[in-house]
Amino acid sequence: MSTHDDRERAWLLVTRREVVSRITDKSFLFGTAFMVLLIAGFIGFTAWQEDRSEDATLAATPEAVAMATAIKDGAAQVDEDLDVTVLEVADREAAETALTGDEADAWLHEVDGVWQLTSESSTQDSLTAVAEAVVRQQVLADNAAGVGTTVEALEAGSTVSTDFLRGDAEKAAVADAVGFVFVFLFYFAALVFGMQLASSVIEEKQSRIVEIIAAAIPLRHLLAGKVLGNTALAVIQLLVYLVVGLIGLTFTPYKSFVPALSGPTAWFIGFFLAGFVALACLWAVAGSLASRTEDLQSTSTPLTMLMLVMFFGGLSLDGRGQVIASFVPPVSAVVMPKRILAGGVEWWEPLVALGLLAVFAAITVWVGERLYRRALLQTGGRVSLRQAWSAAE
Amino acid sequence: MLEIRELTRRFGEHTAVDRVSFEVPSGLMTGFVGGNGAGKTTTMRMVMGVLGIDEGEVLWRDQPITRLDRRSFGYMPEERGLYPKQPILDQLVYVAQLKGMGRVEARTRVQELLERFGLGERGKDHLEKLSLGNQQRVQIIASVLPKPAALVLDEPFSGLDPVAVDSMVDLLREHTRDGVPVLFSSHQLDLVERLCDRLVVLAHGRRVAAGTVTELRDAGVPRFRLVLGGDAGWVRDQRGLDVLDLDGATALVEVREDGAEQHLVAEATRRGDVHEFVRVRPALSEIYREATA
Repeated sequence: MSTHDDRERAWLLVTRREVVSRITDKSFLFGTAFMVLLIAGFIGFTAWQEDRSEDATLAATPEAVAMATAIKDGAAQVDEDLDVTVLEVADREAAETALTGDEADAWLHEVDGVWQLTSESSTQDSLTAVAEAVVRQQVLADNAAGVGTTVEALEAGSTVSTDFLRGDAEKAAVADAVGFVFVFLFYFAALVFGMQLASSVIEEKQSRIVEIIAAAIPLRHLLAGKVLGNTALAVIQLLVYLVVGLIGLTFTPYKSFVPALSGPTAWFIGFFLAGFVALACLWAVAGSLASRTEDLQSTSTPLTMLMLVMFFGGLSLDGRGQVIASFVPPVSAVVMPKRILAGGVEWWEPLVALGLLAVFAAITVWVGERLYRRALLQTGGRVSLRQAWSAAE
Repeated sequence: MLEIRELTRRFGEHTAVDRVSFEVPSGLMTGFVGGNGAGKTTTMRMVMGVLGIDEGEVLWRDQPITRLDRRSFGYMPEERGLYPKQPILDQLVYVAQLKGMGRVEARTRVQELLERFGLGERGKDHLEKLSLGNQQRVQIIASVLPKPAALVLDEPFSGLDPVAVDSMVDLLREHTRDGVPVLFSSHQLDLVERLCDRLVVLAHGRRVAAGTVTELRDAGVPRFRLVLGGDAGWVRDQRGLDVLDLDGATALVEVREDGAEQHLVAEATRRGDVHEFVRVRPALSEIYREATA
């Protein structure tokens, strides 16, 4: 009955219990479902926001219709989300009636050689911007014609092409947003699953089932099983969120970015895995140092501080600081994926960062195992790190 | 047989268990008694390998005990409770699997034991939904999974109602019948006296007494009670005796010199009627109180 083989898979039994007991837990399922809905909802809202086009009606008396039509035709070039309709009115009075009657949003007319856009009371930002640009172009053209040249000739060599820059800026904005999501997901998972892991360690310690387990299997197996189980759960949950997020993105105007995001996302999963294992061991130690659930608050304080440093560091660092942090574990777990997203990272940089993170994880597993093993069976009050480290077994 | 040899454990300056030795013979129930802080729990935790041993050793079947040996033991820790929020069937199967049983085999055995303790229908209930007595039963089941080679139980009877105590006793007896050594600690001396074949008394980390109940009761200086027809005052003048109590015709004496009691009886019959002459064995509680004082 007691064969060597049985003992070898003890950690697997622990892992399975961790996963099964959590996956059948209603609050875990509801929490995950809620997050999925939140992500889907957020993406849906963004898509709707982006797709929504604005309609504006521009009133113009016959002498201004030509300019109004120019604005209508030129609108698409300036603001692709604005549709301009021209409403021809007889005179000033009719125009004002149209404005007060909400038939028109603005009235275009010329006062002493200057074009004016009159609206009822609210400013028409998009319309004004479009009108300004078109009128300016139109007037420039007229004036240029008056002195026997063209706008193109006047502007030759004076403009800076903005096409490329604009595209890149959008990409940077997406990288920023996705970077935020990466940092947030890591922080969220590390905190939620870390706390969960720590409290399940306390649960075992407090109820003394840990003594029954310790008499049956090596504590190393218990720790390994718990860390692996929670890591598996965290990664599964993360994958669900990422898949929902990426699929959601394909329904938005940002769908062209999805292929470009897959690479960084894969890196992120790798960094998440190594970073999470490292932190999970520390969470288990925080749990083992406490004797009651109430103690967890204080035994986990250094860890929650570390989480905050990672969160804000991940969000706020840039320039040289970001480059350095992207190699320093465990902060590198969130900073390097962000850098990969932004682009301009040498191929070896993520590999080195991931390697360092893996080494760090190995060290925390080793240190964590020793602390956990020694603190776990000590009863009566909180155990200090120093006590745990030097305690006899 | 489980043998504990010179076990010692220190916590800082404090020696919680000080060179404690005793045996837990196969097929016998050994009761482990002592006041709070006497070192019973510390000793049991060392036996189970849950706590490190500073000095001394634990032998199982004449060999130093191994982890695999311990895994075959049934153990009930002092403060108990399994996972409060897990169905009892699942967690008992889990414990059985940790102890090396196959999943299917474990389920069958657990279900069998649940039924035996009247919990057959409640396998899917979370532990915390059960009454305290029933939680205790689940704990007992956990300790006899799979078939244990030895049982080490810390306060197994605390919190049990008389009916549960009886079914627990039946279960333990079944194991001793199969030759399993059982070591259990308890504060309930009457229960210990009723159940135990052997007794180990601990005080301040030291073993102060060990043996069968009869051995322990016979171990002290022999005492006799003498009831005469007339006044017993003359007993004071007898040699080789200490008079513990004298009340009219009744005297309680402790024998200092071998055979002094024989002279006492002879003298008493010479002087008149002897209504009663009887050996007085102290109750277990008295021995316990003296030993742990």
